[in-house]
Amino acid sequence: MIIKNKKIILITFLCFLLALIYFYNNYQKINSKAYITNQGDNTVSIVDLKTLQVIKTLKVGIAPLGITILNKKNLGFIGNVGTDDISVIDTRTDQIIKTIKLNTAPLSLTSSPDESKVYVTDWFKNNILIISVKEMKIIDSIKVGITPSGIAFNKKYNYLIVTNRDSNSVEIYNENKKLIKKLATGKHPFGVYTKDKYAYTANVYDDTITIIDLENWSTKVIKVGAHPYNVLVHNNYGLVTNTVDDSLSIIDLKNNKELKKINTGETPENLDLHYKLNILVVTNWGSDSISIYDFKNLNLIKEIKTGAQSRSFGDFILQ
Amino acid sequence: MRKFILALITLLFSISIFAHGPTPQKVQESVTVSVTPTKAWSVIKDFSDFKKIMKIRSFDDEIMKIKYEMLKKDGPFSDYNAYIIVKKGSNDNESIIQWTARFYRTYKLNPPIPEGEDDATAVAAVKNIVGPGLANLKKALESK
Repeated sequence: MIIKNKKIILITFLCFLLALIYFYNNYQKINSKAYITNQGDNTVSIVDLKTLQVIKTLKVGIAPLGITILNKKNLGFIGNVGTDDISVIDTRTDQIIKTIKLNTAPLSLTSSPDESKVYVTDWFKNNILIISVKEMKIIDSIKVGITPSGIAFNKKYNYLIVTNRDSNSVEIYNENKKLIKKLATGKHPFGVYTKDKYAYTANVYDDTITIIDLENWSTKVIKVGAHPYNVLVHNNYGLVTNTVDDSLSIIDLKNNKELKKINTGETPENLDLHYKLNILVVTNWGSDSISIYDFKNLNLIKEIKTGAQSRSFGDFILQ
Repeated sequence: MRKFILALITLLFSISIFAHGPTPQKVQESVTVSVTPTKAWSVIKDFSDFKKIMKIRSFDDEIMKIKYEMLKKDGPFSDYNAYIIVKKGSNDNESIIQWTARFYRTYKLNPPIPEGEDDATAVAAVKNIVGPGLANLKKALESK
């Protein structure tokens, strides 16, 4: 009897150990790198979100700003507004594998859900450039309204959504390059985020965000902190970077009102979430750093020094 | 002191509500002053004239930091936001005053960028405010 009990204990222990190894292995397999564009020193800081360390600093083109990460293809596209090109990073080796010449300033980037295309807002010539990921070159473009700033792809409707900063509007295109709708936003819309049936713009000059219903085109405006640059939505919460307040507005999207503000580093510009690790990352332009928060309670886990003028306009976490 | 404040106002009286190119610029300079941080802060925070012109964004006595935004255009730069912070120096009778400004150039359309409306001009103009501003502030504080 005693021997049998011992066996059971041993087997239970072994099972437990195996489960532990299994989960640990899975945890190890989770991609967890954040790519931070440092516009002031022409680099990208690569931060491991598990060990909370900068693991590599990569030289890219001049004045890198926009970024999008292709998780399935293990690629990162970085827009350099000083050299008018895109640096493509292989996220397995963290090396630059290609530089795509644009001859115009790429402001922001996003990809199609199947990651076959990358869309780039062409700040100077008012286009959306369409890049084939396979061919690594521009294959098409869409003429849009003035000063195209933020860009996002809505999976539910297959819409491309772009903010026109200097005409206080947002434009929605379908995949056939047709303008579906143009709507007024608050003043000076910069970043745009989309999820399910909504799009959200951060309106820099009037300290608001505009929420757009992509089904019936109704809009709502919510007051946030000073000079918001970007928005992210998760679990019915809206998170907004207030660049002049050095804070993040937390918005209850069920009741459409601001719940509270939490402190960030200086001049927070952009933000992204690691969905498996439940970690929120904010880039701080002013303090040359990123702030990492636990999304559950929004407690600061750590502020990490990156490079000069960290921005990362776009999705910048490899999931 | 009054002279310094007036000079500061003339120099700083600037902002464009017009749009800007894609890269925000940063000027960050500091000066070490032989007075206590409390003393330095008491002078800096007493910008009563200054407050009428600038939009004060925040004012923190505890960390001795003032943030402001300029609302009128008067120089080759735009969207000017800045803060001045007083920190403790290497001893109790010394303080470091740090001035950090973020702004954009004035020109935002297609290149070529006209002379005088580019990033370099904007940075030079702000440096020309921050550098002499801090030097004057040091002089005023230490001569008292």
